[in-house]
Amino acid sequence: MKSRSLFCRLVLLIVAIVVSGASLIAHDMWIDPTTFSPASGQIVGVRLRVGQDLLGDPVPRDPALINQFVFEDAAGRKPLVGRDGADPAGFLRVAAPGLLVVGYRSNPSPLEMTAEKFNQYLKEEGLDAVAALRARRNESGSKAHEIFSRCAKSLILSGTPKDDQTDRSLGFTLELVAERNPYALRAGQDLPVRLTYENRPLAGALIVALNRRNPSEKLSARSDNDGRVRLRLPAGGMWLVKAVHMVPAPAGANAEWASFWASLTFELPTTPAEGN
Amino acid sequence: MRVLLAAAIVLLLGSSAIHAHEIGTTRVSVVFHEGWSYDVEIVTDAAALVEKLAAVTGQSAPRDVGPSGLQSLLTTFDDVFRQRVSIQFDVPADRPAIVYSVASGADATSGAVATIQLTGTIPSAARQFTWRYGWTFASYAMTVRHAASKSPAIEWLEGGQTSAPFAVRRPAPAIDRFGTAWRYLALGFTHIVPTGLDHMLFVLGIYLLSGRPRSVLWQVSAFTVAHSITLGLSVYGAIAVSPRLVEPLIALSIAYVAIENIFVSELKSWRIALVFAFGLLHGMGFAGALKELGLPRAEFATALLTFNVGVEAGQLAVIGTAFLLVGWHCANRAWYRRRIVVPASALIACTSAYWTIERLCS
Repeated sequence: MKSRSLFCRLVLLIVAIVVSGASLIAHDMWIDPTTFSPASGQIVGVRLRVGQDLLGDPVPRDPALINQFVFEDAAGRKPLVGRDGADPAGFLRVAAPGLLVVGYRSNPSPLEMTAEKFNQYLKEEGLDAVAALRARRNESGSKAHEIFSRCAKSLILSGTPKDDQTDRSLGFTLELVAERNPYALRAGQDLPVRLTYENRPLAGALIVALNRRNPSEKLSARSDNDGRVRLRLPAGGMWLVKAVHMVPAPAGANAEWASFWASLTFELPTTPAEGN
Repeated sequence: MRVLLAAAIVLLLGSSAIHAHEIGTTRVSVVFHEGWSYDVEIVTDAAALVEKLAAVTGQSAPRDVGPSGLQSLLTTFDDVFRQRVSIQFDVPADRPAIVYSVASGADATSGAVATIQLTGTIPSAARQFTWRYGWTFASYAMTVRHAASKSPAIEWLEGGQTSAPFAVRRPAPAIDRFGTAWRYLALGFTHIVPTGLDHMLFVLGIYLLSGRPRSVLWQVSAFTVAHSITLGLSVYGAIAVSPRLVEPLIALSIAYVAIENIFVSELKSWRIALVFAFGLLHGMGFAGALKELGLPRAEFATALLTFNVGVEAGQLAVIGTAFLLVGWHCANRAWYRRRIVVPASALIACTSAYWTIERLCS
C-alpha cells in the first residue's frame, strides 16, 4: 500500500511538460561553475549567470548586490574570493575530496512593472496565490512594485560520489536542498528536493527542473506539505532546479511585493550511451 | 525539440524587458562622427553570445572553442545576429557593416571577449538615433557621444529594450560673449584681408587719391560711417537690396574711384560725399556676407559690432601696408603720381570694370 501511494505521488508530482514558449518576463539566475567535478586542490571559478533556459549572460561580481557568497565543505563555510567587476564572480579552492555547496544570496533589487506584465509574470512563475490575492483586493489592474532577491546554489563534487555526501542548508530565505547526492544518481532515478522558506518547508510552490542539453523540455511539480518534490531526471548533464516565492513586502521597502528566486545547479553523471 | 527551443529563444529575446536585471558584462558605445558616419562597438561575452545565436538557429553551440573559433562562428551567424540589433534613424538608413573579433579574456579564468564593430553612414536628413540590442538578458550601459565631445551620454538598458532617442548632431556650443566677439572680429577682418579683393582695391583707391593723411582720414571716416549704417540696417532687416544690384554697383564704385584718381589729385567735397554713398553700398555687401556666416541669436549685437570692427581693422591693414610700401618714401616725390598713382589706379579701374560686367552677367 505504501509503495503504491509513493508511486501515485511520484506520478502526480512528476509532470513533464513540453514548453513551446519560454518565459517572457522573468529571468533566472544560477551558478555555473567552471567545472562540476574538480580535482582536489583545484581552483574553481564560480560564475553567476542570468538568463533563460540555461542560456545566460555573465554577471560580474558586484559587492553592492552580494549578501552572502560562500561555499561549504566538510571543514565548514568560507567566503568566495573574487575581484569586483570580474567574471567569474568568485573563486574557491577545493581543499579535499567531497561535495561542496556553493551559495549566492543577493540583496534585494527594486523593480516596477505594469499590471499586464506583472500578471503575466505571476502566471509564468506559478505564483497563483499572489495573483488570487491581487484579484481579491481588486489590484489586478494596478502597477506593481517589487523587490527581488536571488538565492542561488550549486553542488560541486570532487572525487568519488558517496551516498552520505549531502547538500546542506545555507540558511537562505528561500532555499532548494537536494535530499540525495545527485552525483550518486543515474539518469532515470529520482532526486528528492526540498524547498524551504525562512527555514520552514514551503508547500504548493512550483518547482521546475531543466537540463542544459534540452532546456525546453522542463519537469515541473508543486511541492507537497513537507516542501518536497521528487524529480525523475531523465538525462545526465547539467541540471537547473528553480523556484520562485513571493510574499507581501516588509514595511518600508517601498514595494508591495518581495520575491525570492531559488536555484540549484549540479551535474548528473552521464551514461556511456549519452556520452559528452 | 530544438525548433521549439529556437522559437522560444526568439520570443524571449525579442520581448522588451521590464525587469531591472543584474548588470552583465555587455557594453555598447556609440560615436557620431562629424562626417556623418557612426561607429557602434559592442563588447560582450563571446561564448554566451554564440550559445544564444546557435540556440536560435536550432544548433548546439560547440564547447571549448578558442577565440578564433568563436570569431568564425560569429561571422557565420551574421544574419541571425542582425535580427536582434537595431540601429534606427528618423529617416531610412543603409544597413551597417559589421566586423566581429574575439580575443582571449583578461586572464586565464575570464571568458573570451567579442568586440563587434558596426559602422555606417548617418543619412543627411537624420536628426535622431535609437538603438536596440536583443542578445543579452542582463542590464547593460550604452554610452553615446559625438566624436568631438569627451563626455558621453549614458543610458542603462535591458536586453531588447529600445533606447531613448539621441540627437545625431552635436549640440551648439554654449554662447560665450568673448568667444563670439573674437570670432566675428576675425571674420570681419578676413572678409577684407585676404578674401575681399574688391574691398581691398576700393580702400587702395581711397588711399591713392592723395598721399596726405587728411585726405585718407576724411574718406575712410565717411566710408566707415556709411557702411556701418547700411550693415546694421540690413542685418536688422530694415532695408533689403538684392545682391544682384549691390554687387555690380560695388564693382562700379571701385572703378569710379580709380578713374577719378587718374584725373583728380586733390580731395574735393564731392569725393567725400561719393565715398559716403559708396560706403552705403559696401555696407549692404558686408551685410550679405555676415548673413551667410550666420549671427548667434543670443549675441546678435556683439557679433554685429565686432564684425564691423574687424572690417575696419582689415581696411586699416590695407592702408597701413600701402603706406609702408609706397606712401612713406614716395608720396612726396615728383614722380609718385605719374609712376604709382596713375598706373595703379588704371589697373584697379580695369579690374573693377571687368568685375562690373562679370557681376552684371552672372
